[in-house]
Amino acid sequence: MQNFAVLRKAAACCSCILFSVVCLPAQRTTSRENQVKAVFLFNFTQFIEWPASAFNSPDAPFIIGVIGNDPFGNYLDETVAGEKVMNHPLVIQRYKDLGELQTCHMLFIGQEDPQKIKTILDVLNRRHTLTVSDYKNFAYSGGMIRFYTQENKTRLQINLSIAKAAELNISSKLLRVAEIID
Amino acid sequence: MLSAQKNGPFSPRELKKLSVEELMNIEVTSVSKSPEKLTEVASAIQVITNEDIRRSTVTRLPEALSLAPNLQVAQSNSHDWGITARGFNGAPFANNTLADKLLVLIDGRSVYTPLFGGVFWDAQNVLLEDVDRIEVVSGPGGTLWGANAVNGVINIISKNARETQGWYASAAGGSFLRDYAGVRYGGHVDTNFFFRVYGQRFDQNSTTWIDSTESHDAWHMTQGGFRMDYVPGNSNTFSFQGDFYGGMADTGNTIINGQDVLGKWTHRFSENANLSLQVYFDRTWRDLTASDFSEQLSTYDIDLQHHFPIGSNNQVLWGAGYRMMNDEVENSISLTFTPAERRLQLFNGFVQDRIMLVDQELYLTLGTKILHNDYSGFELQPSVRLTCTPSPEHTIWAAVSRAVRTPARFDADETTPFITTRNGEFDSEKVVAYEIGYRIRPVQYISFSIAAFYNEYDDLRSINLNDAPPPALLFANDQQAKSWGLEFSGNAVLTKWWRLRGGYTFLDKRFTAKSPAVFSGSDLFEAIDPHHQALLQSIMDLPGNLQLDITGRYVDMLPGLPSVSPQISAYTTFNARLAWIFREFEFSAAGQNLAGKRHGEFGSREIPRSFYLKGTFRF
Repeated sequence: MQNFAVLRKAAACCSCILFSVVCLPAQRTTSRENQVKAVFLFNFTQFIEWPASAFNSPDAPFIIGVIGNDPFGNYLDETVAGEKVMNHPLVIQRYKDLGELQTCHMLFIGQEDPQKIKTILDVLNRRHTLTVSDYKNFAYSGGMIRFYTQENKTRLQINLSIAKAAELNISSKLLRVAEIID
Repeated sequence: MLSAQKNGPFSPRELKKLSVEELMNIEVTSVSKSPEKLTEVASAIQVITNEDIRRSTVTRLPEALSLAPNLQVAQSNSHDWGITARGFNGAPFANNTLADKLLVLIDGRSVYTPLFGGVFWDAQNVLLEDVDRIEVVSGPGGTLWGANAVNGVINIISKNARETQGWYASAAGGSFLRDYAGVRYGGHVDTNFFFRVYGQRFDQNSTTWIDSTESHDAWHMTQGGFRMDYVPGNSNTFSFQGDFYGGMADTGNTIINGQDVLGKWTHRFSENANLSLQVYFDRTWRDLTASDFSEQLSTYDIDLQHHFPIGSNNQVLWGAGYRMMNDEVENSISLTFTPAERRLQLFNGFVQDRIMLVDQELYLTLGTKILHNDYSGFELQPSVRLTCTPSPEHTIWAAVSRAVRTPARFDADETTPFITTRNGEFDSEKVVAYEIGYRIRPVQYISFSIAAFYNEYDDLRSINLNDAPPPALLFANDQQAKSWGLEFSGNAVLTKWWRLRGGYTFLDKRFTAKSPAVFSGSDLFEAIDPHHQALLQSIMDLPGNLQLDITGRYVDMLPGLPSVSPQISAYTTFNARLAWIFREFEFSAAGQNLAGKRHGEFGSREIPRSFYLKGTFRF
């Protein structure tokens, strides 16, 4: 009997390992580039200060919105799961188009169409929303943070004056590693 | 915390632990696309990251290498180490060890000396804060890396100036490390032009003899340097860096100084095609005042590498290089090189093709290096490597390669009253290495790697009795050896606040003399290595911004070589560090070699248990 128990345990262990070996690759749909960007979005919540007036209550959720193409998949959700900024739990919302757009504290714009981007930025004008995108001229056309790739590594362009106008206070730790556009 | 170049997926948990600088340092496309990484896919590579170093008690480069479980690292006195992979740590000779089968590159600059084919570790210092990672490849790197990469390659890679922006200042004081001060400032001129300058100085106290009397090998070293990185567009990168240093050891007995500058240009044609050109100059000088011996080595080096695809299944990498080494010695009575001044030239070329046999799963890498040196003429170093990646979590690889250690001045030019080489005729030492390895990531936070090897060496250096003295002894190529071993390493992120890394290495070998004239003890003169060694590093974040890090090390006994090196007992020792982070400040207390009052690692000196306090500021 004793032996059987040991054997069962061993079998259970083996199947656990097998399961993880077989199943883990299937979950991996987000490219490394987008994994890094997802974690950057999370880091922005830690290195940027939002004014208290951006929240309805001290424990209201901090909303990260994704509009247009969502390159992150579940990875972004896994990244922010259980995380908080001050007392605000992090929540992800996805908007198919402008019609669904709600108040959010950070918005990733998965768009390449300059006209659509301009419309989104116009809608957000004067709100405390950090805007982030991969779009080439983003930081030159009213956006705040643009991701780009150089030497195979992720880089940031930050338009500081637009962020300041939205009363977002960006830490020097982040500014130091970014290209500043004014 | 993790290698920016690692294979396989990152978990959100892993990435969130990184600083923004580290996050920016992650290569966003997979390893196999980057040309430098091709070589390493099918090899026993282990990586020491900046975080691994920071979360240890390490204060100098050779100590940092003890964090690689696949290296044999043994400290012989306050300033010298014997460091090798897969064995062959030669006898401690004139305080230095004769380990001569390892190639060591600091940002692409070779730091081995043609004087004895090894490394003067006292002169190799870097600002550890700015080291991105140290890649340690055990096994021959002959095809790409040139001569001397017989048993392994150590690649010390510093951060791009862009990744070291701002101030870093650190000061420490303690019992063995008497004092340390280091400062770096990184700034930028433009959004694509970055620079940094640094300086550091340390005083290290003396070790003791076995009878616990002081051995008078205290030393100090002052070093400074700079690095500039310029990225004018997406296709070109330029970097320029330099260092200078000076120090003194053994109460003024040894004086060393040196300077180096290196420039590198990389042009990217496309994602899979690039060209890089590197040029450097290095001058290093040492004076052993008591024995009236000095050496000045000036090295001029130029290297070109070109990487491009042919079709979708072939990745070709080829290159060529030229190195000129001017070695001038001032001979003493006991140590004499003839001629005193040597101009050594080294030409090399290599080509490698990585062929995809089965889509994304099976790769065959064929390559060879051809080089010409002044002592042994042309040398061929081919290799065949096969890599199988059935899923991103598993890599199985196998390799057969040939590598050579070209003669050093110690082998060919030495003319002392006791030993010489007949007519200066010394041939290169050769190895044929068979390797097999497996890397696995069973779950996202845990990875293991295991490698096994079998090496056949021929024409190894021997000490022969001279049938026509004087001198009484001769250097010859009359030894053969077989060595075999196993290298295991692992990395486990257990919880959000606790990570373990470590490994175990087994090594055994057998020497055979090819001639009855070979002096007994010749084998130990070439190789004094432990059979077993193990390393475990625990990295823990505690509440209240505290960090508790412990590194334990076990090294098996080393055999003694009468009148050269005593037998060293097996030892287990550990280092511990407790740090408190407060805003931009980090305060730490560290203890090294805590298990005993002192212990021997190599030779007749013993390393004491020691403590230091350190304060660091990063802004």
